Amino acid sequence: MQANVTIETRNLTKVYRDFWGRQKVRALKALDLEVRQGEIFGLLGPNGSGKTTTIKLLLGLLFPTSGQALVFGRDASEVTKNERIGYLPEESYLYRFLNAEETLDFYGRLFKMPASVRRQRTAELIKMLGLEWAKRRQLKEYSKGMTRRIGLAQALINDPELILLDEPTTGLDPIGTREMKDLILKLRDQGKTILMCSHLLADVQDICDRVGILYQGELKELGRVDRLLKVRDVTEIRASGLSEEAQKEVEEVIRRHGELVSIGNPTTTLEDLFLKIIRESEAHPGRRVRGTQES
Amino acid sequence: MVVETQFLPFVEWFPLGLLHWVLVAGAVAAVALVLSYLVTAVRHGPVAAAKIIARVLTGVLGDLGQISPRRVFALTRLAVKESIRRRVMVAFALFIVVLLFAGWFLDPGSTHPARLYLSFVLTSTSYLVLALALFLSALSLPADVRSRTLHTVVTKPVRPSEIVLGRILGFTVIGTVLLVVMCAVSYVFVVRGLTHTHEISQVELDKAVDGWGEQVRAGVSKAPLQLRTTKVHRHRHDVYLDTGKSEKKEPAGESQREGSVRTEMEQGHWHDFSYNIAFASPGAEGDTEAKSKIDYQVGPPRGMLIARVPMYGKLRFKDRTGKDAEKGINVGDEWTYRTYLEGGTLAAAIWTFEGVTEEKFPEGLPLEMTLGVFRTYKGDTDKKDIPGIPGSLSVRNPETGLMVEAKIFTAKEFATDVQFIPRTLQGKGTRGEKLDLFKDLVADGKVEIWLRCLAPAQYYGVAQADLYFRARDASFPLNFIKGYLGIWLQMVLVIGFGVMFSTFLSGPVAMVATAGTLLGGFFSTFMARLGAGETYGGGPVESLIRLLTQENLVSDMEPGLRTTVAQMTDSVLQVGLYAMSKVLPNFGQFSFADYVAYGFNVPTNLLLVRGFTTLGFLTAVFVAGYFFLKTREVAK
Repeated sequence: MQANVTIETRNLTKVYRDFWGRQKVRALKALDLEVRQGEIFGLLGPNGSGKTTTIKLLLGLLFPTSGQALVFGRDASEVTKNERIGYLPEESYLYRFLNAEETLDFYGRLFKMPASVRRQRTAELIKMLGLEWAKRRQLKEYSKGMTRRIGLAQALINDPELILLDEPTTGLDPIGTREMKDLILKLRDQGKTILMCSHLLADVQDICDRVGILYQGELKELGRVDRLLKVRDVTEIRASGLSEEAQKEVEEVIRRHGELVSIGNPTTTLEDLFLKIIRESEAHPGRRVRGTQES
Repeated sequence: MVVETQFLPFVEWFPLGLLHWVLVAGAVAAVALVLSYLVTAVRHGPVAAAKIIARVLTGVLGDLGQISPRRVFALTRLAVKESIRRRVMVAFALFIVVLLFAGWFLDPGSTHPARLYLSFVLTSTSYLVLALALFLSALSLPADVRSRTLHTVVTKPVRPSEIVLGRILGFTVIGTVLLVVMCAVSYVFVVRGLTHTHEISQVELDKAVDGWGEQVRAGVSKAPLQLRTTKVHRHRHDVYLDTGKSEKKEPAGESQREGSVRTEMEQGHWHDFSYNIAFASPGAEGDTEAKSKIDYQVGPPRGMLIARVPMYGKLRFKDRTGKDAEKGINVGDEWTYRTYLEGGTLAAAIWTFEGVTEEKFPEGLPLEMTLGVFRTYKGDTDKKDIPGIPGSLSVRNPETGLMVEAKIFTAKEFATDVQFIPRTLQGKGTRGEKLDLFKDLVADGKVEIWLRCLAPAQYYGVAQADLYFRARDASFPLNFIKGYLGIWLQMVLVIGFGVMFSTFLSGPVAMVATAGTLLGGFFSTFMARLGAGETYGGGPVESLIRLLTQENLVSDMEPGLRTTVAQMTDSVLQVGLYAMSKVLPNFGQFSFADYVAYGFNVPTNLLLVRGFTTLGFLTAVFVAGYFFLKTREVAK
């Protein structure tokens, strides 16, 4: 295993069996994968493609049928590796009878950290995730978005080197989604390694350095996002402030040398538009749009 | 109450108990290892299976050796919080409701009210706490697996051993708190329920005291003043104000007398009775107006809530001709716990006591006995002053052979008879010299008590624990706490088994398995006898056939295929039953309720033995629970 490789799977296979040992589903087939230190790696795939199974195998929640899963060079079933890991499950499976402070205090106690550090981290995370106003409320009273945030906080309580995120943006509104993505990028900038799985392609595209695409338990594609998404036989030219005459001139040049696919004004994403409106609304409260303004 | 089982001193028991534990735990572990290897070999092949098993075993040793108290404490706190938030205190509320209703139905006027009250509170607490322990321990971990909260715990540096230990400790803490509160409430309930006092009606007082006063004034009072209390809790007490002493000391014409006596014993208790009598002054002849006055006070019931510390002797027998015998005779009872002495013969039951010293018994030997009485005829019912079967108690020096008949008494079936052998006894012979108990009849702390039945053709049934010296009385509140300690031990065992089963079974199944263990544990002695083939009617299958076909238990079954198959199946099942009986804890043995209810001190020796037995079982279930959790897929 190379020094800068955080996660490595070798021929990792998982077969789910029934009570009598008969094969039910072959969830993962001979997966060979490496996640390098300091990158955001995205596992993509439709439901049932083996993403969550891979993460659970890496966490030791499942045992491989064959092959090997190594985390920090150790077998995934070793407990000591968990000192350096943070895990956000698909749903935030937390103790609903605890409040936010109690939750983080409990998970913090499971790590070897002094009480003062634990209290400090708890306060920092609650503040960072905007839960200060609800820190004394039991989690059963939390909305789904709040639960996701406290779930992320427990994953970060030990300031982990490796963070495994299972569908991190599920259940979050667009603002929460953007905040989550910004946070993931920030964590990467701090030198942490992140493995996330999602079926929300836009999220993965926005933040991942490399992706692997799983389908029916098999790895179908692996590589850097920019390389995989690059359309090599199409050239994109972006310019601003061109007059109509200049545009026509550029069109003419392109037609002379190749085929013009399209030319026009680009559109923003719905996410960007939504966030822009929310920010403007916060800056100018009371402004409304009439239904008749649509054109 | 039967306290027949003689317990080895803890220091003698411990090495034997440890050896037993090692053998049983080792056998179970060996069977588990072989089965695990076979299952793994089927899946992965024999060589890979050996490697996997070796890796798991190495991990087990590592995990058990690296348990972090910090993490265990965190998980314990979590289990406590979980229990509280799951409204565990409802059990306490239920307990209070049970007590409130019990206040209506428990009869403080019954023959043994203390026994009734104590049995009730100990039994109801036991049922409630064990049910609570069962629910909490068996359902918690499966609920975490189902809700997947366990995923966020096991992905932290937490070892399965810490999860199992944290659960056991957490539920034990919450159960202990609940039990302590229940113990305190129960104590108050018992004391308040039993406490009462009596009065003496004014009419009786006037009549009795005036008459007695006249005697005292005249200086001729000889008979004690007899008073009778009012009826409370369906009983009344007689009080005797003895005048024997005053006759010598007090001159005629005394004006006042005060003192304190005990009332007669009723329903297992008495009251202190203190009095102050102001006699009417001997006025002029014909002064009929003068009246004596008595102020009295009846104290609370005493002797009801006690913790007797018995000193048991070793029992041997003499047959009807006076020769040594292994035991008495069987009068046909199926239950052969007691063996019988024939009345009017030389048959005797002889208890040899050791450690009988003057320091322990400065006044004499307080002796208590509960005898079985077997009558071959009804007896002379006209003799109302002798309602039972007469017998004698003699004291004998085991070295010199000097024997003195100390008491003649009458015994009723299973009634506790209290006798007192004084320091000074009258010797045999015409001279009838006086003998000192410790100088003449006790040799090196050893003394023999001979029991004989005096009525011809009537029988006494005796067992070793039926006769003992009441060495002293221990603190009742402390004994009450010991009774609850027994429930605590049972609770901890249930929690241990519940958590162990919940590591690999779903909640309801784990609960049934734990309840089955509890039930099996209560019947483990019978199970052992069934497994060893010591019961009538054969093994389980043969018994079932006999039950269905209504065949006699003691007659042989008809030879044939059915019988052969049944007996072969039974021989296999009996091995399993015998093994199970050795593995399951005998829950009944952990209950000290009978000791407390019948007023016997729970021996510290017994507490230590049961405490370490519990620890042995807990260690085993903890390791098993760890192993199951370690080898299961949490996310499956």
